[in-house]
Amino acid sequence: MAEEAAPKVLELKGITKEFPGILANDRIDFDLRRGEVHALLGENGAGKSTLMNILYGLYSPDSGEILVKGKPARFHGPGDAIEAGIGMVHQHFMLIPVMSVAENIVLATEPRKAGFLLDEDTAMKRVEDLADTFRFRIDPHAKVENISVGQQQRVEILKALYRGADVLILDEPTAVLTPQEALELFAILRNLTREGMSVIFITHKLNEVLEIADRITVLRRGKRIDSVPKAGATEDHLARLMVGRDVLLRVEKKAPQPGETLLKVENVSVVDDRGLPAVRGVSFEVKAGEIVGIAGVDGNGQTELIDAITGLRSLEEGQVTIGGKDVTNGNARRVLDAGMGHIPEDRHRRGLVLDFTLAENIALHDYREEPDSRFGWLFPKRLIARARRLLKAFDVRGGGPTTKASALSGGNQQKVVVAREVERDPRVLLAAQPTRGLDVGAIEFVHRRLVEERDQGRAIMLVSLELDEILSLSDRILVMFEGEVVGEYSPDVTPEELGAAMTGVGREQVVA
Amino acid sequence: MIARAEQAGANVDRLFAARNLAIAGIAVSAIGFWIVLPPLTQRSLVWPVALGILGTLFGIAAVSRGVKRLGWWAVVLGIASIGLGIAATNSSVGHLDSVVVWSALFASMLRYATPLTFAAIGGMFSERSGVVNIALEGMMLAGAFFGILAAQKSGSWAFGLVAAMGAGAALALIHAFFSIHLRADQIVSGTAINFLALGVTGYFFVDVYGELGTPSEIPRIPDVHLPLDKIPTGIGTFLDDVFGQMNLMIWLSFLLLIVSYVVMFKTPVGLRIRAVGEHPRAADTVGINVYLVRYASVTVSGILAALGGAYLSIGFLGSFNENMTAGRGFIALAALIFGAWRPFGAFSAALLFGFSSALAQRLPEYSGSAATLFQALPYVLTLIAVAGVIGRSIPPAAVGRPYRKQ
Amino acid sequence: MSDQPAIEQPSSGEGPPSPAARLGALQRAGGIVPPILTALLAFFVGGIVVAASGHNPLTTYKEIFAGTGLNWFLQVGSYEVGLPFSDATVWFPWETNDINSEAAFNLQQTLLLWVPLVMTGLAVAFAFRCGLFNIGGQGQYIVGAGVGVWVGSSWVDMNPGLHIVLAIGLAALAGAFWAGIAGFLKATVGAHEVITTIMLNWIAYWIWIFAFGQGGPLQNKVNESVPVSSDVAEGAKLPVFWGDPLLQGLHIGFIVATVALVAYWLTLTRTTLGYEVRAVGFNPEAARYGGINVARSYILAMAIAGMFAGIGGALDILGWQFRLGVIDIQNSAIGFIGIAVALLGRNTAIGVALSALLFGALLNGTSTRNLDPEVFQPELAGNLTLMIQALVVLFVGADLLILALWARAKRIGRGRHSGAPVAGTPT
Repeated sequence: MAEEAAPKVLELKGITKEFPGILANDRIDFDLRRGEVHALLGENGAGKSTLMNILYGLYSPDSGEILVKGKPARFHGPGDAIEAGIGMVHQHFMLIPVMSVAENIVLATEPRKAGFLLDEDTAMKRVEDLADTFRFRIDPHAKVENISVGQQQRVEILKALYRGADVLILDEPTAVLTPQEALELFAILRNLTREGMSVIFITHKLNEVLEIADRITVLRRGKRIDSVPKAGATEDHLARLMVGRDVLLRVEKKAPQPGETLLKVENVSVVDDRGLPAVRGVSFEVKAGEIVGIAGVDGNGQTELIDAITGLRSLEEGQVTIGGKDVTNGNARRVLDAGMGHIPEDRHRRGLVLDFTLAENIALHDYREEPDSRFGWLFPKRLIARARRLLKAFDVRGGGPTTKASALSGGNQQKVVVAREVERDPRVLLAAQPTRGLDVGAIEFVHRRLVEERDQGRAIMLVSLELDEILSLSDRILVMFEGEVVGEYSPDVTPEELGAAMTGVGREQVVA
Repeated sequence: MIARAEQAGANVDRLFAARNLAIAGIAVSAIGFWIVLPPLTQRSLVWPVALGILGTLFGIAAVSRGVKRLGWWAVVLGIASIGLGIAATNSSVGHLDSVVVWSALFASMLRYATPLTFAAIGGMFSERSGVVNIALEGMMLAGAFFGILAAQKSGSWAFGLVAAMGAGAALALIHAFFSIHLRADQIVSGTAINFLALGVTGYFFVDVYGELGTPSEIPRIPDVHLPLDKIPTGIGTFLDDVFGQMNLMIWLSFLLLIVSYVVMFKTPVGLRIRAVGEHPRAADTVGINVYLVRYASVTVSGILAALGGAYLSIGFLGSFNENMTAGRGFIALAALIFGAWRPFGAFSAALLFGFSSALAQRLPEYSGSAATLFQALPYVLTLIAVAGVIGRSIPPAAVGRPYRKQ
Repeated sequence: MSDQPAIEQPSSGEGPPSPAARLGALQRAGGIVPPILTALLAFFVGGIVVAASGHNPLTTYKEIFAGTGLNWFLQVGSYEVGLPFSDATVWFPWETNDINSEAAFNLQQTLLLWVPLVMTGLAVAFAFRCGLFNIGGQGQYIVGAGVGVWVGSSWVDMNPGLHIVLAIGLAALAGAFWAGIAGFLKATVGAHEVITTIMLNWIAYWIWIFAFGQGGPLQNKVNESVPVSSDVAEGAKLPVFWGDPLLQGLHIGFIVATVALVAYWLTLTRTTLGYEVRAVGFNPEAARYGGINVARSYILAMAIAGMFAGIGGALDILGWQFRLGVIDIQNSAIGFIGIAVALLGRNTAIGVALSALLFGALLNGTSTRNLDPEVFQPELAGNLTLMIQALVVLFVGADLLILALWARAKRIGRGRHSGAPVAGTPT
C-alpha cells in the first residue's frame, strides 16, 4: 500500500472557516499522499464537507493554506481545482439524466470532427478506453437515467478522471449505494490507487473506513481530533474519537411509566423518491408515557419512515396504527385527526409557512375547526388570541401573533412549531430532529418540554441524528441502519456501543 | 446478470412488435383516409369504416402492450378515418374535388407552415437552453414590421431580412436580460415582450404609414422557380404545383430544419445548450458558461422567430397590418411543445397545423363555420399532448428556472 | 440562525421561489412605492418614444388625461347637484347632460372599462395567490362574454332580474369551468398552467368565432351577412345608475366589481378556503403537512379565478356591448391587460382596484373619441397604451431584481462580520 516514501500530493495547513454562528473548520491540518486512500471520518456537522468544499474551490477559507504537490495554490472556483488535478464526486450527482454516459463525461471537452461536429465515436472510444484502464464496467452508450446509482457514481468518477484528476474527493460515496455496489466501488478505488491516484474518502461509517482507507483523519465539531494509520486502528477506538466524550446534556426525568400502546408500526416498507427501498420491514411500538428514540446516521431511512407514519408518503407494505386506529396510507389530515402531533425535520420546508404570520402558522392544522372557523368562515381575531396565549406560554420571542414566521430566529420558530403540535393535545408526538440548528437555551427548552409531554401520558417518538439527544431523552433506543431497525438498547448504553451499531459494525456486508 | 439481459432483450422484442402493430394501425387508417378522397374517391362506406376499425384495433393492441404514444395515435387516426369516411361518402364528388386538390393543399400547407417552422425552431433554441419563450409572437411581429419597413425604405428585401433579424434579436436580448440576469419570471417577461412588440410595431406602423397602410409595391422575397414540369407524366405537374414556385424562405426553412438538427444534436454546441437546459449546475461544474449559452440561445430564437415574421410580411403577403401575426407565435409554441422540443417534431407539427390552416382555407366551399372551428385544432392537440393523454411531451428539466451562480 | 452551511445540500435552494412567495416578499418590502415608481418609469419611457416620433410628450399626456375623466375629481366643490330621491346634494357634476359634465361622461367611460379590468385582474391575482400563473384570463373572459350574450339573448320574456342573475351566474360557471380545466390538469398530471391556459385562450377564441361567425350556431338570425350574435334582451340589460343609458352610462356592474373586490379580500383573509389557497401558494409542502388537500386547492383556485373573469365578460355584454361579434372577439384584450393590472396591483384588492383605474383611464383617454388628432393621433395613442402596459409588466420583473439586490446586500453585509463568501464564482 502507501509507502512512507510516497510524496504528498496535497496538503492543507491550518484551514479555518467560520459561518455565522458556527466555526465549521478550526485550524485543520490534512495531507494526502500519492496512491493512498485517506478517509475523513466524522459525524454530521463535524466539518468534513466544508473542508472539502474549500479544497474544491467552492468556499475560500478564512485562514490557512492549500499546497498542491508542494506549491501553494489558491482556488477561486471548481475550475481552478479541476485544473490542479482535483476531481470531486458530489453526494448529489452532477449528471444529466437524459444524456448518454459518454456525453456526460466529455461535456465541455468534447472531441470534434470536421471542425465543428461532435465526434461521438471518438468520445465513446475514449470513455471505453478510460474505463478499461481502471477496469470499470460501464456502457458508454447507455443513458444515465437508465443505469443504476452505482454506475452513475462510476460515471462521476470517470468524469473527473477524463479531466485529468489525480486526486479524487468522494463525498459520502456509499450513502446511496447498496452493500454490493459499495464493494464494487472499493474494488474500483483500489485499482485507482494502484495506478497512482489518491483518494479522499469522506464518510461516517466505521466499517467502511477499516475496509478501504490507508489512513484515517477524524474530525469532530470542526476540529481535527487525530490522524491514525489503518494498521492498529480499531472500531472502538475510532468510534470514541468520532463521537467524543462530551458532557451529555442531562435532562431531569423520572422513571417512565409506560401505559397502553399508542403508536404501532408493523412490518413497514417504504421506497424513497427514486423508487429504491429506503425502509425495509420496520416494526416497533411506542407506549403512552415513554420516549422511544430512533438513532441512526442520516439517510438510513428515518425520513421515509417519518413520512410514512405521518401520512405524507405511501407504504409499500405494512401497517400503521395510532391509538388503535388504522391510518395506513392515510393522508396528513387523517393522521392528524387520529391524534398525531408531528414536529417535522425541516421547519422551513414543511413545518412553517414562512410567509404566514405566527397566528396563521399556529392554526395550520386546526383552521377548519372551531373556534378558528365555522362553516368555512375564519376568525382571525381568535387565531391571534390563541397565538398570543401560546407564544407567551412557550416564551417565543422576537415577534407577536401578526409577525411573519420568517422574521423569527430558528429557535423561536421551532418553539412555534412545538407549541402548535403540543397544543393539539396529541396522543402520539413524533419529534424529528427537534433541536436541529438551535442554541443551547432553546435545546434545553425543547428537551424539557418533550419530557413533560411524556409525563402527561403521550407516546413520544424521537428521531434524531444527535446521539446526546437520544441518550439523554429516550427511555428505549432503536437504531436504524440501512432501512432496518438493527437493535434495541436501554438508555444506559454507552455512546461507543450505540455509535458502533449506527455505523453498521458487527453487521456482515451482504455479499451476493 | 445474463438472465436479466435476456429478459430485457425479450422486452425489447415485445416493444418492437407492439411498435410495428401501432405503425400498421396508423398506416391502415391512413389508407382509409386516402381512398375516400380524390383522386380515388371511393364511394362505398364499407372500406373506410373497415379500415378505420382495423386501425383502431391495432392501436388498442399496441397500447395494451405498452406502446402508448404511437398506439394512441393509431386509435385516434382510426376513429378519424371512420369519421372522414362517413363525411366524405355523404358529400358530392364535385365538392370533394374542389376542396381536395392535393397539389394546391400541399403548396398552401407549406406556405402556412413556414413562419411556424422558423418560430418553433427558434423557440426550441431558447427552451432547450432553459429559458421559456412565450414571446415568440412578439418577436415574429417585430420581424414582420421591421422587415417590411426596412425593405420598403431601402428597396431591398435582403436588407429587410437583416432588419427583421436585428429587431428580433433586440427583443430577445431584453427577454434574456430580464430572465437571465435579473432572474425575473420568464413568463412575466415574455408577456411583457409580446405587449411591447404589439405596441411598438403598431405605433411606428401608424406613425410611418398612417391610414393608407403599407404601399403595394414592396420588395418581396423572391420565389425560386424550378423546372419541375419538365418531369414527364402527372408527377411532374404535381411536383411543379407544389415545389416549382416556392418562396426562397420556404427553402430556407428546410435548410434551417437540417442545420438546427445538426447543431442541436450533432455538435458540441448543441450538447452544451441541452446540458444547460437540463441541469445548469452540472454544466457549470464542468466549466460551461451558463449565462453565455442562454443569452446566445435566446438571441438565436429571437432572430429565427423574426425571420418567420418577415416571411409573413415580405414573403407571403407583401403587406403589414397591426397585429398581423394573430397568434401564430402561439401556434409555433404549440408546435414546439407538440413536437417535443425537437426540430423534426416541431416541423411535423408545423406541417400538421399548416395543413389544417390550408384545409380551413379551402373548406368554406363546404361549410364556413366548420372551417373556423378547424383553426382550434393546434391548440386542442397541444392541450392533449401536455395533459399526457397521447404520450407526454416532456420539457427540458430546467426550463423556466433562473440559474443562480454559486 | 445557525443552520448548516447551505453547501451541505447542493440541491436545496435551486428551485425558484413560487410566484406567490415572490410577491409575498414584495408586499413585505417597499409597500406602495415600487409600483408607483414602476408606473412612472413606464410613462417616462413611453414619453421618450412619443418625443422620438416628433410629438410633445407633455401635451400628449395632458390631452390623454383630459379624456380620462379623472379631472372630474379635481372639480370638487365647483358644482352643487341634487341627488335623486333625496334632499341631499353633492358637489360633483353628476348630471351628464350638464354643459360642464364632459368630465363626468368621460369618467363613466373610464369606469366602464374599470369593471372588466378589475374582474380579469382579480382572475390573475387569485390564481397567483395559490402559486399559479393564470394567463388565461382572456379566454375565461370571452367564455363568460359568450355565455352571457347567449343566455342574455335567449328567453326574451324572462323576468328581468332573474334573467340578469341567470346570465351572470352561467357566465361565472362557464369561466370557472374553463379555468378549472387548467387547474385540474395541474393537480392531476402536473401540466404547467401557463401552457394550458394559453391553449385554452385560443380554443375559446376559435370556438366563439365559430359560434358567432357566419353560419355559426349562435349567429343572429336577423341579418345573416353580419357575423355577430343576437342582441341581448332588454330585460337582461344591466340598469344604468349614472349617466344616460343611451350614451353608455355606468351600469350596476360597477357595484358588482366593487363587491368582487371585497369578496376577493374577504375570501383570502377571512375564509378557510382563502387560508388554504394562500398556504398552498406560499409553500405547498407545508400545506400538505398541515393537512390541506393541495390538488383540490389548485382546482378551486383556478375555478374561482375563472369565475371572476367570466363574470367580467358577462358584465361587459349585459352592461354596454349588448352583442358579441367576431370583430369584438378579435380585438378584445381585456383579459391580457388583467395580467398587468394584477402584477402592478401586487395581487391585493386595493392594488387591483387602483391599477385597473390606471389602465382603464389610459385606455379611455387614448380612445379615438377622446383624443384630439391635432395633438396626437389616437391610433398612435392606443399603441402607446400597449407600450406603457408592456413596460409596466417588464418593470414589475425588474423591481423583483431591486428587492433581490437589496436582500443580497443585506446578506453580504451580514456575512462580512464573520468571513466573506467566496469572491470568485465558477464560470
